[in-house]
Amino acid sequence: MENKHYYKRINGRKLNRFQEHSIVSYSWGVSFILSIAMLIFSYDIVTRQIESFIASLAFVFLGTGIIQFLISLRVKNEILKFNEIKGSTRKLGYLLLIMGATGNIFSIIAGFTLIRKDRTIEYTISIYSIMTTIAIMVISSLNIFKEYVANNFFIGIIILGLLSLYYIFMMYMVTKHINGKRVDKKLIPLTVPLLGSILIGNFFAFVLGLIIISKYRHKDDEISIEWISVLRRLFRNYMSVIGMFFVVLLISLSICSNMTFDYSLAIDNNYSSLLQTPSLEYPFGTDNYGRCVFTRIVFGARISLVVGIIATMVPIVIGGILGALAGYYGKRTDNTIMRILDILYAVPGILLAIAIIAAFGASTMNLILALSIGAVPMYARTVRATVMSIANQEFVEAARACGARNFTIIFKHIIPNSLAPVIVRATLGIGGVVLSTSSLSYLGLGVEPHIPEWGNILKIGSGYLETKPYLAIFPGLAIILIVLAFNYFGDGLRDALDPKLK
Amino acid sequence: MKKILSLLIIAVLLLGIMTGCNVQTKDQVTGGNTSETSNEPVDLNLLAMSSMEKDANILRDQLSKAGFNVKLNIQPDYSSYVGQKDAGNYDMAITSWNTVTGNPDYAVRSLFISNGDYNDYGLVNEEIDRLINEAATQTSDQYVATYKTFEEVLVKENAYIIPLYSNYKSQAVNNTILKVDSVRLSKSRSLPWENVDFIDESKGNSEPLIFSQTMPSLTSLDPIKGNDGSINIINTNMYVRLVNLTDNDEVTSVGSLSHNHAIGEGNTEYYFILRDDINFAKVDNKKAVDSGELVAAEDVVFSMDRARNKDSVPDHRTFTLHSSMEKIEIVTDLKELESKKQSGNASSIKDGLEAGLSTTIKELVADKAQVSNKDGKYQVVKITTNKPFPQVLNYLAHQSAGIVSKKQIEAVNTYNVATFDRNKDVAYGDQMTITEGATYDNTLMTSGPYIAIYKNDYEIAFQKNPGYMISTSHEPKVSNIVVKFIKDADSSLSAFRSGEIHFLYGIPEDKFEIVENDSKLTLQKRPNNAVVYAFFNMKGGSEFSDVNLRKAILYNVSQEEFIAVYNNLKINAYSTVTPLVDTGNIHLKDHSKANEFLNMYWESKE
Repeated sequence: MENKHYYKRINGRKLNRFQEHSIVSYSWGVSFILSIAMLIFSYDIVTRQIESFIASLAFVFLGTGIIQFLISLRVKNEILKFNEIKGSTRKLGYLLLIMGATGNIFSIIAGFTLIRKDRTIEYTISIYSIMTTIAIMVISSLNIFKEYVANNFFIGIIILGLLSLYYIFMMYMVTKHINGKRVDKKLIPLTVPLLGSILIGNFFAFVLGLIIISKYRHKDDEISIEWISVLRRLFRNYMSVIGMFFVVLLISLSICSNMTFDYSLAIDNNYSSLLQTPSLEYPFGTDNYGRCVFTRIVFGARISLVVGIIATMVPIVIGGILGALAGYYGKRTDNTIMRILDILYAVPGILLAIAIIAAFGASTMNLILALSIGAVPMYARTVRATVMSIANQEFVEAARACGARNFTIIFKHIIPNSLAPVIVRATLGIGGVVLSTSSLSYLGLGVEPHIPEWGNILKIGSGYLETKPYLAIFPGLAIILIVLAFNYFGDGLRDALDPKLK
Repeated sequence: MKKILSLLIIAVLLLGIMTGCNVQTKDQVTGGNTSETSNEPVDLNLLAMSSMEKDANILRDQLSKAGFNVKLNIQPDYSSYVGQKDAGNYDMAITSWNTVTGNPDYAVRSLFISNGDYNDYGLVNEEIDRLINEAATQTSDQYVATYKTFEEVLVKENAYIIPLYSNYKSQAVNNTILKVDSVRLSKSRSLPWENVDFIDESKGNSEPLIFSQTMPSLTSLDPIKGNDGSINIINTNMYVRLVNLTDNDEVTSVGSLSHNHAIGEGNTEYYFILRDDINFAKVDNKKAVDSGELVAAEDVVFSMDRARNKDSVPDHRTFTLHSSMEKIEIVTDLKELESKKQSGNASSIKDGLEAGLSTTIKELVADKAQVSNKDGKYQVVKITTNKPFPQVLNYLAHQSAGIVSKKQIEAVNTYNVATFDRNKDVAYGDQMTITEGATYDNTLMTSGPYIAIYKNDYEIAFQKNPGYMISTSHEPKVSNIVVKFIKDADSSLSAFRSGEIHFLYGIPEDKFEIVENDSKLTLQKRPNNAVVYAFFNMKGGSEFSDVNLRKAILYNVSQEEFIAVYNNLKINAYSTVTPLVDTGNIHLKDHSKANEFLNMYWESKE
């Protein structure tokens, strides 16, 4: 009995050392879940008929799932037996990559992870940046089944295609020319487009560029660069990387959709195509005004993200300053600020938001304002607690002894050192704000009804829950997905920033 | 490594090629140019209630496609909507009108005549005033042409309103509990409860019949003090009237206080011969009892007098409906009936009133104690209007013309109308008097088939009037009725589907499919008199007091698209008269005409 437990722990530890095992397991898990979901969807309860297209898709997923399962078994056996993965097994990664054509992102990630034995952080990040642009190309290319595409569609696709090729080239370059901390000088000019990728929201490429530059600048230093090691820890947590990938994908998609999607399909009514079931032309069907729900969800991401991010930044700044002042000065200042904030804390956030919107009218600006005010006390409390613990440390006293003014101490020494918990809190908070935005729109208090916003889309769908459930399922899934993504990302960030887990 | 690279490059190229093949861009399909006029877009502030969000959305869509810059102003409830309207914060507003009396005069007078009750958007047009007044004096054959001209002036020539559509009235019955054909669906009149019966007739005395209603606060149980959704159905069933409307909005005496009615020559005198088998009901110890007092001519005269008199009660909400009545009197001289001819008919009033009666009129009496129809002692009431106005009968069929007890009202309403203090004085029909608790003091005395026993936050309960047309086909079939207050339409539908309530009024269009697919539910629908339309702010301060601009809007609106969104469950309409009078006018979208008018607008601006 004892032995069994012991071996289980030893095996677990062995498996944990290899990221490949867990990632490949995820890929077959997702394939199986998707195939079961599709099987259920393919059966029409009312007419008692099976839709052949969806059913065959389900079997494709089932098939790939079985292959992925066998690969994961093989990986597991090799790890347990030889404590390494053989080259022949690693070749199977290409098979996983090809199976990614079904749209199973986990399979692609598993493939890339399995193929290479020594994965540097640069390699991993460039993989994700490539996947982001390719995913946007795939999502955008669904538009070709429509009657027409946006005017800038081809330009957009060409730009995305060239960027993908460039990222692939960079992946080759970073594996070739970065060796540990040594960065080849000729890589530096190549980072300019990488940094420019932030314009299309591809944060992975942006971070890759930063890493290259920062490694080059610090090539002679002995110590490792702190934020790169945080990133390395972050990328070790698989779920958080997936979360981060979805967040980046959505941000990038909501920027790129300006080129590749036609906004009029999302807001203009089309009276000849009301309430159509999902098809290639309308992947998520059309709503009761004949608008393409797929396009609406894509454009809806923009408002959710903008409101989510701004309505988190504003209270961080206000709450952060108030919390820092309260924590640093203490005594009466602390008491005054915190008691006032406590009053605000006692009012339920969503009710406060409803009251503000009812008073000032529904608009995006008021929505942001309403959601920001309620969150101020939360961030103020977080910052205050950190500041109080930092304010008593030696380096602060040293600064004071050197004659630094309070202002300098707070903003130069204390705040930068107390950012970590706020960042984590903010990442988790964005998910909450996205939910609140959608709830308010659902109640008709958010943006104007024709503007695509996930809560709005869900509201229309909720009227057809029994007859056309897909109208509510897809926006609902989008909301779940983005909140989950932010939560996993925030979780991973917390672990990565935690000094105890270094 | 090389393999990965080549694999990825192939994937990207494949994607690129795949998307490139045989796809047209928007400009290639639509031709590129979207706006035909070079002028800047006109701003339009569209006001609507959130219950009309769908209409606001379609209108916004149609007008912004036509090049207007539409801003939506959606208000959550009626009072904030009215607030915005009164403040003038709109260019165009969407509203709906339901002609509950079923006559065309009611459908136009208060809305479109200068200084009408509901004309608060600044419409002043002498031609319209003249046509409304002319049509009012005409009979139904004559007024078709007048209303046709009226509609043309209102819509085609001036575009004061933009007609959108007219509605279906819908209701659904649980066919495992109720006899479906006992539940009437009328165009205008509220559901008569007395006809409704259980499939298992023996349940009539033991089980309550359960309906639902969204509004829990009842305006007043005094018929003249309210005219809204919270009491229309309730008061219709608590007070009998001189006449009723058939399901198709024709005036009839069937199921009313009168045996028959007749119109005197000249269309100003209206005669009603009263029944003697309806007694007032009252509530004693939370039970409905027969008060033994006959609903008679003196009560009719009293009720009509207070209905037309603005100062008979505080908060009189329906006197404008009854302002055409000049004199209400009891006829005691049989010779008057014999000598007077009927309108458009050679026979006398007496012949008209006697038609179908088992005993002819031998004597006319004024005192209710002497009435005995089987001995030929009848009561006749005559109503004289201030001008020829045949449509007065429709107003008499309205809920607000319900007959109340003279004795009881005089006993309860002892306050002085001019100095009425709602904190101290209790008026007849105040909902507080039947609300359970300390204020409960049920002083109701009703002439109709049912009487309210008590009310609380969740329901209002009724019992049948034991003295109402006993052993006729109009005797109430079910002894107890409960109306539950369910505020939300979706919850009402759920309660109905689960069998908690037996009958449901007003099913939303997008739920028809659900009800129709349920075998134990029967959906009934028919066109009703409600019309949804948009009107303009013409009080000044809005660009849309310009007629060309209004017409540009008019011809950009397509009713077909509204009907399509509502799954073909709406009907074309031209004005609020459309459901009542077939004038033959139809509205069609005409893009070139719209542009023509828009250009005229810009030219006039220069």
